[in-house]
Amino acid sequence: MKDRVGKIVYNKKLQEGIYKMELKFDDFEKVIGGQFIHILLNSKEHILRRPFCICDFDEKNKSIIICYAVVGDGTKELSKMKAGEEVKAMFPLGNGYIPKENENKIVLLGGGMGSAVLPAIARAFPEKEFISYLGFANKDKVVLEEEMNKLCSYVKVSTDDGSYKESGFITNILKQDLETLNPDAIVVCGPEIMYKVIKKTFADTNIPIYVSLEQRMGCGIGACLVCNCKIQRDGKQEYLRVCKDGPVFNLSEVVL
Amino acid sequence: MKNSKVNICGIEFKNPIITASGTFGFGKEYDKFYDIQNLGGICTKGLTLNKKDGNPAPRIAETYGGMINAVGLQNPGIDYYLSHDDIELAKKDVVVIANVAGATIDDYIAIAKKISNSNAKMVELNISCPNVKAGGMAFGVKPEMVEKVTRAVKDVCSKPVITKLSPNVSNIADNARAAEAGGADAISLINTISAMAVNYKTRRPIIANNNGGMSGPCVKPVALKMVWDCYNAVKIPIIGLGGITSYTDVLEFMICGASAVEIGTYNFTNPMGAYEIAKDLDAYLERENLDINEIIGTLILN
Repeated sequence: MKDRVGKIVYNKKLQEGIYKMELKFDDFEKVIGGQFIHILLNSKEHILRRPFCICDFDEKNKSIIICYAVVGDGTKELSKMKAGEEVKAMFPLGNGYIPKENENKIVLLGGGMGSAVLPAIARAFPEKEFISYLGFANKDKVVLEEEMNKLCSYVKVSTDDGSYKESGFITNILKQDLETLNPDAIVVCGPEIMYKVIKKTFADTNIPIYVSLEQRMGCGIGACLVCNCKIQRDGKQEYLRVCKDGPVFNLSEVVL
Repeated sequence: MKNSKVNICGIEFKNPIITASGTFGFGKEYDKFYDIQNLGGICTKGLTLNKKDGNPAPRIAETYGGMINAVGLQNPGIDYYLSHDDIELAKKDVVVIANVAGATIDDYIAIAKKISNSNAKMVELNISCPNVKAGGMAFGVKPEMVEKVTRAVKDVCSKPVITKLSPNVSNIADNARAAEAGGADAISLINTISAMAVNYKTRRPIIANNNGGMSGPCVKPVALKMVWDCYNAVKIPIIGLGGITSYTDVLEFMICGASAVEIGTYNFTNPMGAYEIAKDLDAYLERENLDINEIIGTLILN
């Protein structure tokens, strides 16, 4: 494991408060979707790193792409950084999503900024078929549609208020299409409320559903135990680490 | 002559850099970044008699130049430690300090007996946990309780005992004296400072446990003062900690009376942090042709 230095190739605004950044590294390591990168900001008052899902990657170019919303001081600072500037970063961290052998047709379901997890998942396994369902609050929050179009055989986008493409919650739209799609697995990333809805909405399906969890982190490597999530396995509930045991878990195991 | 070795209670450390409990697990995660044998010592995650699940999430919040945590002592329990991590850590040429915690005096006695049969070289007592038989007030608050819990452990433990002092007290020097009176072989300080982070939008504390312990660079001046106060109160060695991020911070703590230091929060900022500090300190001692022991407690007051 290594702490690396990444040079910013670009840091561009996609929508108000949403940015996409490419970081280029001298030494690269293979990554898969669902893994994350732990970035150290350059200002000394920010002593904790910020974990970002690896949105996309380019092995040939040795670069990692993140897509992030400005939610606090740290992301605000990051959004002001310019091409050519450098940050320290650890990657790849976390388990990521590796499709099982029988998971060939996979639905990628994104809720808002959770969609940022999905491109890398499709990028890492080009031999699989990916279909994506992306839901956003309104047209000003829509991101990564074009990227997903390049990586997936089919992309459906909805907005909660109907201001762009289909109208309604993307979970309901997927539910309607599910029988026709008949996927082997669903990978979801979105807010926790979405996982609760999915647990209910998709309770009658046997299709494995994987979710990427998010939590405030410390070390990012499994040592400090601050990013806990409650997981039920073998009839027992216990706290596991989002950073090391996850961030990707089978939804059936996640206690919400 | 240049020397980076320190000796605490008869235990030799290659250098005075020890990783602080709770920030370093049982060493295996950081051992993937660098060989942890480059460190003087490591303090284990706080161990309790039985497995503990800890607090709900979120357990951490960043503050200006620091952070607040409330993990709630999640750990696999002492028996699991003894049959797993204790064995792995024994293969490493690094001083292992087992950090232990309890909810009653009997817990401390039971865990101290068990740890006596471990490969750990020393025991560090976390006395900042609530005493369930005394209305939940932390063991580490009143001097008489600090003395009592230290003595109870000393009576049954074959290893040198370090009592880790809480800063959330009226006079830490009194508690240092109490630990010494209870037979502590050394003291370490400071544990985290009781604190809260609040979200003005939700009007709620950020941490699920509402309050937690603050650490990081923002606490360093408090820790330095407390180390100096304790240095002037007791004869037993002091291990200093609180916000160390560089070898010059280490020197400051040792000048204030610490015989060694612990690196905690900085491990999160920089996974190579403790290793780099040890290397930087060594280079400094080389440059200055200095024995680190010569600087301990050499603070010159104005």
